[in-house]
Amino acid sequence: MEALRAKVAQLLKEKAISGFLGLKLEHGHPSPFLFTGEEGLDLLVVSDTRFPLTKLLQRLTSKYPEEKFGVMVRGCDERSLIELHKDNQVNLEHLVTVGVACSQELAQRCGCKVPYPSQFEVGEPATGVEGGGELESIEGMAEDERFNFWMEQFGKCIKCYGCRNSCPLCYCSECTLEDSFLVPPGETPPKAPIFHLIRAFHTVGRCIDCGLCEEACPVGIPLRTIYKKLGQVVSELFGYSPGKEVEGRSPLSFLGEKPFKEQG
Amino acid sequence: MRVLAHARGSITKTVIQKGQNQFNPIIIGFLCTWCSYAGADQAGVSRREYPPNILPIRVMCSGRISPHHILKAFQMGADGVLVAGCHLGECHYIRGNYMTAKRIPVVKELLSFMGLSPQRLGLTWVSASEGDRFAAVVREFTEQIRELGPSPLRGVS
Repeated sequence: MEALRAKVAQLLKEKAISGFLGLKLEHGHPSPFLFTGEEGLDLLVVSDTRFPLTKLLQRLTSKYPEEKFGVMVRGCDERSLIELHKDNQVNLEHLVTVGVACSQELAQRCGCKVPYPSQFEVGEPATGVEGGGELESIEGMAEDERFNFWMEQFGKCIKCYGCRNSCPLCYCSECTLEDSFLVPPGETPPKAPIFHLIRAFHTVGRCIDCGLCEEACPVGIPLRTIYKKLGQVVSELFGYSPGKEVEGRSPLSFLGEKPFKEQG
Repeated sequence: MRVLAHARGSITKTVIQKGQNQFNPIIIGFLCTWCSYAGADQAGVSRREYPPNILPIRVMCSGRISPHHILKAFQMGADGVLVAGCHLGECHYIRGNYMTAKRIPVVKELLSFMGLSPQRLGLTWVSASEGDRFAAVVREFTEQIRELGPSPLRGVS
């Protein structure tokens, strides 16, 4: 943690960045905070609490496009930054990332495949967790059983929009989930399955499998399983995995010369 | 979207009394205006018979059909959705239907994972001169949906 503070202090002192987005320990709880000066850096912490920091960063950079910012990134944050960069939401050249490797405990809890960014200052790289969680069991169900399972799950939804609000890649200022034709206002639970399927389709070729949506869901709908499944489909059909490389574009984000895999 | 809202009325009203004991599915057809809609027109002009279960909605390009439209159709109780556009490489907008060709397989997988048979969503290419083909495709697709039975989403909302 000291290494992180020293690095951030140096970056701020050299004026390499105008602010550092990290976690501040306030009243015993870590929460996102933009550190703009060397003072107060003793409250900068690394903890197992996750926040969609890159989503906050996207808002910051859209407001101050000329400024350079520093940000604390985990493995998932780094992947989301890459996807945001491809969508022209952040500019990686205007960012200084300070990597943090997650603890083994956190990696286990998140079911994370790569619980560390490409470069990190803090922590030891934990071993990734393989396996798709509930995916196999849901895929193993018969069709009508699966339908009933999902309708039951979606019926629990209280339409809090937590999944969208916590998603680092949901940056639209106008959201389809608030479209009164597709999702009539004032109805809880929202129309199933369309509400969740719209969101699911919006994650295609973009979801970096951070699991914040499922973590935020107050009623425990296994949302991540759907996005995981779609991630597999995209990888099989188009050979694309989101958040891996800065080059290449998500297959559904452009028309392309050829309809299928060859276009890469 | 407004067309779909209009179709909602038709979905509930369209009860086709042809075979009394036969299940008559409701199929929404999204047809691209340059090829498939003209193909449907051609089928009509050449007096080809096809089941009246399909409710055609004309769109400017099959690439314009967002998955939202397809999902909304299913949510409103359609038993099947048929998406038809120009043959690959013959799109009026050059590459519009490549997007459809990329999108629909993903939507199918999503529907299948949700427990809706992916066969309820059809994708086909019909050119403006293929009236016969359009009639044949609709016959085949209607038969396919008839075998699958009513959508489990019928009556949900």
